[in-house]
Amino acid sequence: MLIQFLQDALFSAIAAIGFSAISNPPRRAIPVCALIAATGHSLRFLLMQTGFLQLHIVTASTIAAALIGTLAVIISPKTKIPAETYLYPSLLPMIPGIYAYRTFGAMVMCLYQDGESGFNHYFHLFATNGMTCFFILLGMAVGATLPMFLMKDISFQATRHNTGTPG
Amino acid sequence: MTATISTTYEQDAKCVCSFLSEYASLLFSCGATCIRLEKNVSRIAVKMGMKTDIAIMPRHIHLMVTDPACGDTFTSVTTIRPHPVSYEIITRLSRLSWEIADGDKSLDDARDYFQKIADTPPANPDAVLTLASLANAAFCRLFGGDAIAMLTVFIATFAGFYLKQVMTKRKIDIRLTVVACSFVSAVLASADSLFNLGTTPGIAIGTSVLYLVPGIVFINSFCDMLDGHYICAISRFFDATILTCCLSAGLCAGMMLMRTGMF
Repeated sequence: MLIQFLQDALFSAIAAIGFSAISNPPRRAIPVCALIAATGHSLRFLLMQTGFLQLHIVTASTIAAALIGTLAVIISPKTKIPAETYLYPSLLPMIPGIYAYRTFGAMVMCLYQDGESGFNHYFHLFATNGMTCFFILLGMAVGATLPMFLMKDISFQATRHNTGTPG
Repeated sequence: MTATISTTYEQDAKCVCSFLSEYASLLFSCGATCIRLEKNVSRIAVKMGMKTDIAIMPRHIHLMVTDPACGDTFTSVTTIRPHPVSYEIITRLSRLSWEIADGDKSLDDARDYFQKIADTPPANPDAVLTLASLANAAFCRLFGGDAIAMLTVFIATFAGFYLKQVMTKRKIDIRLTVVACSFVSAVLASADSLFNLGTTPGIAIGTSVLYLVPGIVFINSFCDMLDGHYICAISRFFDATILTCCLSAGLCAGMMLMRTGMF
């Protein structure tokens, strides 16, 4: 399990580095994105493990996204970079791509079915994967953005160099 | 949004309005959320002793600057020009707003510095191409793909992302670009399934197009919604949904061409 855990952290960090590059961040933001992504994804991995909390993927993703959002807000004033810069690349490794793919696949297969049982089978796959995908995304969006709004004073003063006076 | 007035030094309302409209337009087009745009613009205006009212529309920014000392009011409607997402520019523009607010830069200095920020070159395209391909391959591993699937995804992403860079450079419509890139990536990723190379061909195909997911637009849409900017939130959401549909269309076409089963 330890190897799996470390692998999870490593690959999510690589994914965050690559996807942060797409959004043209300041260079010094890239390692921070990797660190936040690895922490968030590893937490989700742990929360879902049998023998640990064994949470559902939706709950685990929401909690991990909240950690990512909080870390992004806390780190942003130290690096003088807006918290949003860290959010997207760090969240990306948790995007339910395979659920989305299966949802889409099942929808297409529904269209190709002549019989009711075949249609029902693929519609069931479409609905279960689609709902899981939707609620993971919703949980991630809520979890990651709420800390930014709850800590507005920190979030929107991150790029200020002269922090002597409140603003 | 209305900024409170605290006059520190007088500036011509027309100059301030002109500067702020350019500033707001660039900030928004680089991928800033509405709340950041409002806060930054208001911060600068307060320092200049002006009162601002701002309406952020999906394609335009409507800004009204009033000088309370003499009652002069200037209105500007700026079109938001398409610009690749750049957090580097957002960071520097936000810092500029604080430098003005803290009195480190005058409006003239800010104007010069703003131009320098606007001329910031994009990141090295070759480095971005390689990093994005590696990221998608890592993504594939996270979803449980084997080494062959990772290699397939790397190649599929490399080709698709390169095509995206070429088509974007030639200013081809973004929706058409996404369909084409998704198609190319799906066709190449189908090799894993077609030649029975690995044990997780489905994951390779499913992951190969994920670099096209408009994640920043989705997140910004949600941030705007939380802040009550529903028009922008809905507009961004539809933009992202349309791109996701284009991505799905390209993926579907690629899989149908290669006769790759989904289940």
